[in-house]
Amino acid sequence: MIPYIIRRIIHLIPTFIGATLLAFIISQLVPGDFLNSMRLSPDVRPETIARLEQSFGLDKPWYTQYFLWMGSLLRFDLGQSFSGNQPVSAVITKPIINSLILVGISLIMLYAVAIPLGVFSAVRQYSVADQIISAVSYFGLAIPNFFFAQVLILCIFLFRSFTREYFDYNQLILPVAQMTSSNYDTLTAFGKFKDVLWHALMPAFVVATSGIAGLTRILRGQMIEQLSSDYIRTARSKGLDERKINYKHALRIAIIPFVATIGALLPGLIGGAGLVEIVVSWPGITPTLLQALTAQDIYVVLGFLIISTLLLMIGNLISDLLLAVVDPRIRYN
Amino acid sequence: MRKVLLGIAVLALLSMGFAQPFVWPNAWIADPDSVQMGGTFRDYEFSEVRTFNPFVTAESTGVSNLAFQGASLLTRGPDSDEWLSYAADSFNISDDGLTVDVTLRDGLVWSDGTPITVQDYFFTYQAETDPDVGSNSYDGWFIGDDQITLEITGDNSLRFNFPKSDRTALGVVALTPWPDHILGELYRSGGAEALTAAWGTDADLSQFVGSGPFIPSEYRSGERVIFVKNPTFGQWNVDEAGNALPYMDGYTFAVVESQDAALNLYLAGEIDAFSPRNLDDIGVINVAIQNGDIDATVLENISPVASSQFITFNWNKASNPFLQSVFRNVDFRRAMSHLTDREAMVDLVYGGSASPAYSSVYAVMDYWINPDVPKYDYDPEAAAALLRDIGFTSTNSDGILVDSEGNALSFVLATNAGNSQREQIAQIFADSAREIGVDVEVQAIEFSLLVDQLLSEGDDRPYDAILIGLTGGNRDYPFGSNVIPCGTNLHMYNTSGSCIAVEEQLMTKLYYEGRETLDTAAARDIGYRIQEVEAELQPIVYTVSPAAHYSWLNTVGGQHPDGLINSIVGSREIALTYIKQ
Repeated sequence: MIPYIIRRIIHLIPTFIGATLLAFIISQLVPGDFLNSMRLSPDVRPETIARLEQSFGLDKPWYTQYFLWMGSLLRFDLGQSFSGNQPVSAVITKPIINSLILVGISLIMLYAVAIPLGVFSAVRQYSVADQIISAVSYFGLAIPNFFFAQVLILCIFLFRSFTREYFDYNQLILPVAQMTSSNYDTLTAFGKFKDVLWHALMPAFVVATSGIAGLTRILRGQMIEQLSSDYIRTARSKGLDERKINYKHALRIAIIPFVATIGALLPGLIGGAGLVEIVVSWPGITPTLLQALTAQDIYVVLGFLIISTLLLMIGNLISDLLLAVVDPRIRYN
Repeated sequence: MRKVLLGIAVLALLSMGFAQPFVWPNAWIADPDSVQMGGTFRDYEFSEVRTFNPFVTAESTGVSNLAFQGASLLTRGPDSDEWLSYAADSFNISDDGLTVDVTLRDGLVWSDGTPITVQDYFFTYQAETDPDVGSNSYDGWFIGDDQITLEITGDNSLRFNFPKSDRTALGVVALTPWPDHILGELYRSGGAEALTAAWGTDADLSQFVGSGPFIPSEYRSGERVIFVKNPTFGQWNVDEAGNALPYMDGYTFAVVESQDAALNLYLAGEIDAFSPRNLDDIGVINVAIQNGDIDATVLENISPVASSQFITFNWNKASNPFLQSVFRNVDFRRAMSHLTDREAMVDLVYGGSASPAYSSVYAVMDYWINPDVPKYDYDPEAAAALLRDIGFTSTNSDGILVDSEGNALSFVLATNAGNSQREQIAQIFADSAREIGVDVEVQAIEFSLLVDQLLSEGDDRPYDAILIGLTGGNRDYPFGSNVIPCGTNLHMYNTSGSCIAVEEQLMTKLYYEGRETLDTAAARDIGYRIQEVEAELQPIVYTVSPAAHYSWLNTVGGQHPDGLINSIVGSREIALTYIKQ
């Protein structure tokens, strides 16, 4: 096992270099650069633009820029962001953590809801409840997240009108934007935790929906297949109770394909929650990445790419290893 | 001992008696008689805060404007473009316009209690003119290649030396100082590197020392910026009743990732003001007011925004001599202006909240706008006649105008993809052009690609016509130094490096002449001439300027009186804003 892991890690190095080179070339194919907006300003002197080009290294050919950047990567330095004179690592750390919080909460929601639902659907195949779950699942799969978030925000506002009308309660039941309340800094540690959780509830639910829908559908299929197999019949004939059969025997096997995807969750975790973050102003990866893309702050963009490439490669490795753990038929040497 | 203390107390009282604070005029706010103390204004900020270092900042955002506001020598009120002495007690421009002498007001003080001296201004000047520091203000210190210099002429006086008289440079006299005893120390001990490393977003903001009404005290990345009242600001800033300013105790910005999120926060009552983008936003706010969700004021169509939107034709198309000669023909460009249905653009694209534009000067700067420039307004028949005059007398089988050699009048109008309003403006133009047989193909392309094409130089540039906009510029002389003169990089229609039309030469000459004219009325006359020449030449066809809108919760007071609110001075002075308890 150990030599296998070492071999895999050595193989990662050329993949990683290739990925960075490709990312860098693509970033250079985009016309213009960070100073574009300055060039469109009616009163900025050309000398200033030339001076900034030089200080940002934008006047050098792309391969020189690439090698300079790779050189600093080897020293674990992701480079400098053009806007605001800050290192890239400082720009991207906080958004990554914020996205991790949101995606983490939504993952917990995902598994807490999808697994029981999937099992239930399979056990009560073709029942009314199963049909309803299927219908809702298709809806969840089909609706785009950013739109669903807007719909929920509208519902929160409408609910305020309702509670004001009938209960004289003129507050929103859930926050509609941001990650913390304005009095966040005066809260206790537990209060802060609750505050973030409170703000994350709606966006995390939105992020989880499409996952819940997909996972429920697949798990249902897997479970149905397992429930009709011989070992389940044997278990039933031994007189085991249904709960044990479903969760201890069938689910264990049905879940194997998901274990294989756990590694892929790692880059997904930092991939952020996508446009939902923009809709609810969650200070995560997507808004920062989009701002960097529009401003052509390329080292920030590349910084995110590097981190997700690394996590993708590590995630794949972990997936393969986990598979060997859960599936005794797989052996690496 | 007691005598000494008494003496010190008397001296302190005396010096306070002599210090004349700056009095903020009642005329700047709508309701000066009902001001209240205390409270916090909750604003929003659209982009991430990059730095709290005044020498590093490169953006003009709500946060940077508040953080870097301070004891500028001069200031301007919302009611006039004239400069007023602010931190200066007085200022005097020499007759030749080459020196400006400034005396400091007594009693100026930093937020940490240290007095503000001429040394602070001098250090700020040194740092801003150091290319290694890379300050955004660096450019302002230059007229062409010559630098404006600052010298200390006394304990309390400064002199600005200008290489030549230049009205756009008066802005540098409005210098905002930064503390020599903190940043100046860093600069002298560690150079530019130490100076620019200070006061980043990760810095301890309790170290921040400024001279504005509010001082940043806390920053949570991507979430909010909290400002607290500068306790010493009121020592030299009072209202006419003698109240120390600012009225409020704090000012916060919620950092939002989209305008929609800001609107949601406003509807939730969590921010105090919102700038509606368009009539849709206003509709949503009005419904919320009717439903009783929020109690707010909405000002619709207050003034045009400070930006321009126009179509520019490429005069440098060596590879297509036909189009090049067409684009260089003044009658063709006047015909294109006649095809620009500005009324339709106002109504269809902006739902009526916009105004037609005919000049490079933003419509909001009405003092500078020449109302009598020739306007080639929407008139397809006049356009057809002009095109006939230049040889487009017949049409081909597709119904497109052709000249005697059979060249069809067909070109591409590019604009930036994703800007739906520009795409609509371009389409309206193309539709009216098609009606008289001019074939305009609208292409929406990526913004950076569009800018690349626009800024390309030489005799053969890659585009036909581009619809784009500009923002930014100077209130003292609203003609872009990179736009009007030949050979500058935003002289978009002709970047061959030299003038092609004699009118270009005239405009270049007038531009520099007006810049050197310190008398505002005389400079405006020259500005009028520039606009006239430009309108006759029509190198650029101006389209429409959308309008600015404002809205705020009625718990906030202290906005400018009606008539003083516009897109340049905004709706309020922060120091004069108050919260109704």
